[in-house]
Amino acid sequence: MLFSRRLMFGLAMASSLAATLAGALAVPAMAEGPTEIDLFFPVPVDGKLARDMGTLIKEFNDGHPDIKATAVYTGSYDDTLIKTRAAIKAGKPPSAVIMSANFLLDMQIENELTNLDALIKADGTTKEQFLGQFFPALQGNAVINRSVYGVPFHNSTPLLYINADKAKEVGLDPSKPPQTWAELTDWAKKLTKREGDKVTQWGIAIPCAYDYCGWMMETLTMSNGGRYYNEEFGGEVYYDTPSMLGALTWWNDLVYKHKVHAPGATPGPAVSTSFISGNAAMMMLSTGSLTYVRDNAKFNYKVAFIPRNVRNAVPIGGASLIIPAGLEAGKQKAAWTLIKWMTSPEKSAWWSRATGYFAPNMAAYKTPEMVDFLNKNPDAKTAVEQLDVAKPWFATYKTVPVRKNLEDEVMLVLNGKKQPKEALVAAQKAADETLKPYNADTSLKLP
Amino acid sequence: MKLIDWLYKDTPLATRGEITPKLGFLLTVLLAIVWLIPFLWMVVATLRPASDGINAMAELMPSLKPTLDNVRDAWEIGDFPRYTLNTTIICAGILLVQFVTITLAGFAFARLDFAGKSLIFYLFLMQLMLVPVLLIVPNLSLVARLGLYDTLAGVMMPFFASAFGTFLMRQAFEAIPTELEDAALIDGASLIQRIRHIYVPLSMPSFSAFAIISVTSHWNDFLWPLMVINSPDKRPLTVGLSVFTKTAEGTQAWGTIAAGTLMVIAPLLITFLIFQKRFISSFVTSGIK
Repeated sequence: MLFSRRLMFGLAMASSLAATLAGALAVPAMAEGPTEIDLFFPVPVDGKLARDMGTLIKEFNDGHPDIKATAVYTGSYDDTLIKTRAAIKAGKPPSAVIMSANFLLDMQIENELTNLDALIKADGTTKEQFLGQFFPALQGNAVINRSVYGVPFHNSTPLLYINADKAKEVGLDPSKPPQTWAELTDWAKKLTKREGDKVTQWGIAIPCAYDYCGWMMETLTMSNGGRYYNEEFGGEVYYDTPSMLGALTWWNDLVYKHKVHAPGATPGPAVSTSFISGNAAMMMLSTGSLTYVRDNAKFNYKVAFIPRNVRNAVPIGGASLIIPAGLEAGKQKAAWTLIKWMTSPEKSAWWSRATGYFAPNMAAYKTPEMVDFLNKNPDAKTAVEQLDVAKPWFATYKTVPVRKNLEDEVMLVLNGKKQPKEALVAAQKAADETLKPYNADTSLKLP
Repeated sequence: MKLIDWLYKDTPLATRGEITPKLGFLLTVLLAIVWLIPFLWMVVATLRPASDGINAMAELMPSLKPTLDNVRDAWEIGDFPRYTLNTTIICAGILLVQFVTITLAGFAFARLDFAGKSLIFYLFLMQLMLVPVLLIVPNLSLVARLGLYDTLAGVMMPFFASAFGTFLMRQAFEAIPTELEDAALIDGASLIQRIRHIYVPLSMPSFSAFAIISVTSHWNDFLWPLMVINSPDKRPLTVGLSVFTKTAEGTQAWGTIAAGTLMVIAPLLITFLIFQKRFISSFVTSGIK
């Protein structure tokens, strides 16, 4: 008797639970409210920006009662890619993502992106008019096969940061920063302080951690006259080349020959910390760190172009806004409204002042707040000026693994475990292997 | 010679070849100090005012004018009480279901006879060799199809069965003499009653050891909750904390990070301090078996 009563109770519980579940599932379909969209974003510089992002999205929601956007924090740039891909594969694509600019090609190859041409056309603007708002250097990472796939949101270039006070101490003139690798090596030697065998102040610090390391290698290779990858085709990288060998050899020499750069692969935050604390007199770092340096440096600093060996050239960094493939029309339209609003001159100028990234929208620099800001902080101009010599950020099929193929080897070199030449040969071999399936499908597939 | 004499003074002759209690104690203290340094640094960095400058950040000497600014900053950026609640729900939920599944599965592998038992057991153990990252996409699409995307239940689900736990319980149950079960059988105890009144009480140390491992690993898990959870109010502590620590282009507010980290580990740390004796004894006994 007891048993059957228990069974009855269990059945009653189960059926009421099922009813509740069914009710919960039915509600969203019936409710007529604002279109709900989510925006995936990585935190670019510092935790406080997560709060700034909240402010930005709240402002958008207040101005657009028919849309309810939620900002979803998604980790680092690499984590954001993993999460976006997993969400797309699970059938729950986010409506918009702030995606590292160089992941767009790989996502397009995998059919994970919405082609934005139709949305641009529906607004009554041409592609040329739309792209014309942004700095030309940024278009390489946003346009694939002449179609628009991304909208530049916050972008960066690497910069040379100099501790002006320390430069003056050793008789260097910070108003004439080093322009070539030879001058930079000379500066770094003069700025390195030793007590016996122990170094108390390093001449220069260059970051090398996943993501950053590949970007710095591209920077050095480009200013050495070379290229990192085929800008027009996603199946080729040029790791084992003279320009790359020269770049890595110079970096290696700074560490082991001139002993002006601390040995080992140093992550970005450690580099900026050591510059701010005076432990390193110069550093190469993103303009995205400029606001942090401005707020924390207790000394005069100076930012300059990345010095050249052969030519002045730097890669673009930062992120673009994308719309994943497979969204329903209503969400797609709402996401497009959000993207246009976020990349408008006023909003991108505001974000630029908060972060240090430069605003990709050229009209941002004509807003009164920005003119005023640049007058007070002339150091924010350097990255914009450097855009004249900027080129796209490396983007290939399977960008992250191909980048790691090189980064693993560069780290071995900086840790003193390998010589540049053998490291680059190994990196090339590994990358060719990673790119093989794509090449088999495209460039090696003959009729 | 005097030092050695002192170290060996009250050791029985038979164990003189082994590490003496005093030397062992010395080594323990040394290890404890090494372990304590990063923790002390975190506390010092949390209380250090930003005006001390980043230079002082690496120092272990506490600041003369301690401040709670960093704690306030971290507190404002992240909704820590909510994150702690979410993490607690996740860890407790996983553990409760695991207790049921590993007890039953462990018992089946230890005491029941069925065809292909060893083969199934080894297949089961192979799960331990898989890197969790490998399963992210299949797990996520399953979770989404079950309607559990962006829910705490979705975070917990893949961990309801544990290969490690099953293995641990199988070992524990096998060590229990079958005579005890036979006696219960004579008294007419059902299968569930035998598990409930004989196997479970006698394997308590193994259960607590497993609980510690399960809770700490899910407390620290980052990638899987990041994949499943979208809503800010469902974030667990690790995802909430990474808002400070995962930077893309190279700057960090160490004071805030230290304060945030301290808040994240505090609940686990306090639990450990309270139940210290139990924790240690559970590992020791389960180790002897």
